[in-house]
Amino acid sequence: MLMIRAIVRPEKVDAVLENLMSEGFPAVTKMNVSGRGKQRGIKIGDITYDELPKELLMMVIPDADKDLVIGLIMAAARTGEGAYGDGKIFVSSVDEVYTVSSGIKETNAGTEEVPS
Amino acid sequence: MKEVMAIIRMNKINETKRALVNSGISSMHARDCQGRGKGLVDIQLLRGAEQGYEEAISQLGNTQRLIPKRMISIVVPDSLTEETVSTIIAANRTGKSGDGKIFVMPVLDAIRVRTGEEGDEALDEA
Repeated sequence: MLMIRAIVRPEKVDAVLENLMSEGFPAVTKMNVSGRGKQRGIKIGDITYDELPKELLMMVIPDADKDLVIGLIMAAARTGEGAYGDGKIFVSSVDEVYTVSSGIKETNAGTEEVPS
Repeated sequence: MKEVMAIIRMNKINETKRALVNSGISSMHARDCQGRGKGLVDIQLLRGAEQGYEEAISQLGNTQRLIPKRMISIVVPDSLTEETVSTIIAANRTGKSGDGKIFVMPVLDAIRVRTGEEGDEALDEA
């Protein structure tokens, strides 16, 4: 399984969530974050803003869905050619997923029930 | 070592912290987040449905609301992973949907900033 962490513009969050929902990926966690990229923030006049507000979307998906999900996020979060600040997507591996309410354990090998 | 990341109910955080300390896992990182799961529960809709409003009943199950949650993240040695997971599950399970998810991820290295220790030594529980 893979964890997708996407940092997107706050105004694009709804579009991304809608896009994911329409393709059958309802489960997402959202966090407010602030950060800067390789442009070192934005310089407006004399002031440099290097803690730009962004939203972090986090989801865990099966390996096979990786390209689809990344495509969905890209399609919704991109503002246009050459615009900086549209965000980044990070992919990392997840060994095990547990659902607290049912105790079901999911791994790449399959699912099993964990006795409580 | 492994990172155990759990997304749990807001009102279960204190109970979870107490349970973790009791089983000897004291260090953690917590933050607020919002999220949605399979989209099975929407409190407003659920309330409406319980009162018998047809619009609410027909909309059950296709909602897109984000629900406030707490996220906790703990890095533990491999040997403690299972205990951490079972402690969190025991403290948080109510049996209803919305109890949360736990993700177990590999961590390549850990370094304690104060002393420069690396690997399992840098973890408090090792």
